[in-house]
Amino acid sequence: MARDTKDLESLVLVRVVRLNAVVTGLVTGLLAGLALFVATNWLVLKGGPVVGPHLALLGQYFIGYRVSFVGSLIGFAWAFGVGFVAGTAVVWIYNWLTRLRAPAGVGRG
Amino acid sequence: MSGPARAGVVVIGAGPAGLTAARELARQGLAPLVLEKDGIVGGLARTEQYKGFQFDMGGHRFFTKVDEVQKIWQDVLGADFLRRPRMSRIYYNRRFFNYPLKPFNALAGLGIGRSLLVVLSYLRWQLFPYREEHTFEQWVTNRFGRRLFETFFKTYTEKVWGIPCSELRAEWAAQRIKDLSLRSAVVSMFLKPRRTIKTLIEEFDYPRLGPGMMWRAVTEEIHRLGGAVRLHREVVGIRRTGARVDSVVVAGERGEEEVAGDHFLSSMPVTQLVLRLSPPAPEPVREAARRLSYRDFLTVCLIVDRPDPFPDNWIYVHSPEVQVGRIQNFRSWSPEMVPDPAKASLGLEYFCSEGDALWTMPDAELIRLGKEELERIGLARASEITDGCVFRVPKAYPVYDATYREHLDTVRQFVDGLENLQTIGRNGLHRYNNQDHAMLTGLLAVRNFTDGARHDLWSVNTEPEYHEEVGVTEADAAALEDQITEIFPRLDGLALGAATGAVTGALLCLATLLLVLKGGPVVGPRLGLLAQFLPGYTVTAAGSLLGLLYGFLGGFVAGWSFATLRNLALFFSLAFLRRRAQRQLLKRFLEFV
Repeated sequence: MARDTKDLESLVLVRVVRLNAVVTGLVTGLLAGLALFVATNWLVLKGGPVVGPHLALLGQYFIGYRVSFVGSLIGFAWAFGVGFVAGTAVVWIYNWLTRLRAPAGVGRG
Repeated sequence: MSGPARAGVVVIGAGPAGLTAARELARQGLAPLVLEKDGIVGGLARTEQYKGFQFDMGGHRFFTKVDEVQKIWQDVLGADFLRRPRMSRIYYNRRFFNYPLKPFNALAGLGIGRSLLVVLSYLRWQLFPYREEHTFEQWVTNRFGRRLFETFFKTYTEKVWGIPCSELRAEWAAQRIKDLSLRSAVVSMFLKPRRTIKTLIEEFDYPRLGPGMMWRAVTEEIHRLGGAVRLHREVVGIRRTGARVDSVVVAGERGEEEVAGDHFLSSMPVTQLVLRLSPPAPEPVREAARRLSYRDFLTVCLIVDRPDPFPDNWIYVHSPEVQVGRIQNFRSWSPEMVPDPAKASLGLEYFCSEGDALWTMPDAELIRLGKEELERIGLARASEITDGCVFRVPKAYPVYDATYREHLDTVRQFVDGLENLQTIGRNGLHRYNNQDHAMLTGLLAVRNFTDGARHDLWSVNTEPEYHEEVGVTEADAAALEDQITEIFPRLDGLALGAATGAVTGALLCLATLLLVLKGGPVVGPRLGLLAQFLPGYTVTAAGSLLGLLYGFLGGFVAGWSFATLRNLALFFSLAFLRRRAQRQLLKRFLEFV
């Protein structure tokens, strides 16, 4: 038990995991892209006199984006790109900081 | 004595390790000479015979995780294997408990009051365990609580080993019982059991006529391939020149003879090997060898005048009021072990030490003792026992006492220095290996010799037992463990918070600046609504800096919270996995004893 607890502690409490920047970037990019794709098409399907006036404001950042099916594809590409960059940046900074904070010889997962 | 006889490779001992090595050598055309001191092959896995009844010394289920060993078994016996159902129970306090343990059966057997005490004791030891685990008693108590330890593990373990659990090393449990490690538990989470493998826990393969059938067949094969297995040949001396073994002195029915060889594989007890060297090993090595000890057992075989006294393959006898430790029912192992369908044959196993009262007791008295204890347990009446015999098995178990590691290291260091001798098998390595691992040491030793490989025979039997349950290959498990090691360490909350904060702050800052640069009559009216949550924020150049700060703070809290929650969830899920592994172990614990 004491030995198992030490195993547990050394695995979970002492060592620090490093993340894969590209994988995390892809995941966040896909999530962001899909979220915008689904949100856009949801509003398109709901219809109405003015379709998605607030979501359309994203067009100020995402050139070519509008609340339509074609716009959802463009939005997917933009959101994927931004999500990928953001996710990759978070992981890159995280890994850099953990390297800085880890004492010599400790910290590699 | 004329000049020494000569053999290319001399194998000492015709047990599973020695015969497997000899078979491999013979298949490579190297014509080994096997020297066995007993009049029967199989070593600790032999099958004794008495009036047509077959008696397996210890009960050997044929199950292995080692593919090569499995292949040998199939190649040698193939259709002679039977698939047998497994049934075993514990006898304790005049009751029988299913084994592997089943909660409701154990509850019924113990009663509500004692079961409650078991649970309370478990909780007490989970909360306040021994800080250090030096002894077997501490190791088990920390995992299962003192009550459960005393009920199901203490008496049987002490019968087997002959020393108090408080003197048995925790290391012994750690070697025999691998499936408790956290890493193993995590691997088993990812690799779901395969049904076909799982059934092997409930069933097992067994040769029609016991394990000795395997070793008789291997012996025949060795002879056929040009090798030789000589029985009643005890190696009483090993002659060497420096670090090189030249020959062995063999005592047989016609006196002593010397056999020279180029290479030697020894499965004789490593202690005897060291003490029989000439010139002698250095005194510290001899002293270390003298301090290594063994546990022995004898089997009182009884013929019962009815076909099925009980359905189990074997019964663990925990009750301290009888001396018998385990009872084998050989018809349940294989119907062909019993030649008369109207009779049953039982093997009452008494764990003892060479020279003690049990070991030296005359056979007739042992048979009487066996009859009495069988009747006392209620499995058969003494009047139903029509015949019996006794077989003694010396040096059955290497003892892991408090000092064995230190002494074994000394012996090992010396033996490893002998350049043309390798020790193999349970007693050759003084390691509590089962039959399959003993065989593997024989195979690997041959490869060290013929291929120049550098297998460390002392570290055979290191793979975790969970493989038995989940049925994965070594490569699968190793790869998965590497991945798990990368995945499961904690997330650094401060680092993730800072990283998320930096990116969030940068995004808000950029979004603000972009709108500022685009300009217009009203700049960013919607983004400006953020001021409702972020006091002072505006869509201006100055506001972008405030947005950077707010974004950093918000992102930091989000990132830090995520990491903390993830770490907590991970810790609890791993703790849960470890508990689950412990429950699995509890069910099958005695098989490791």
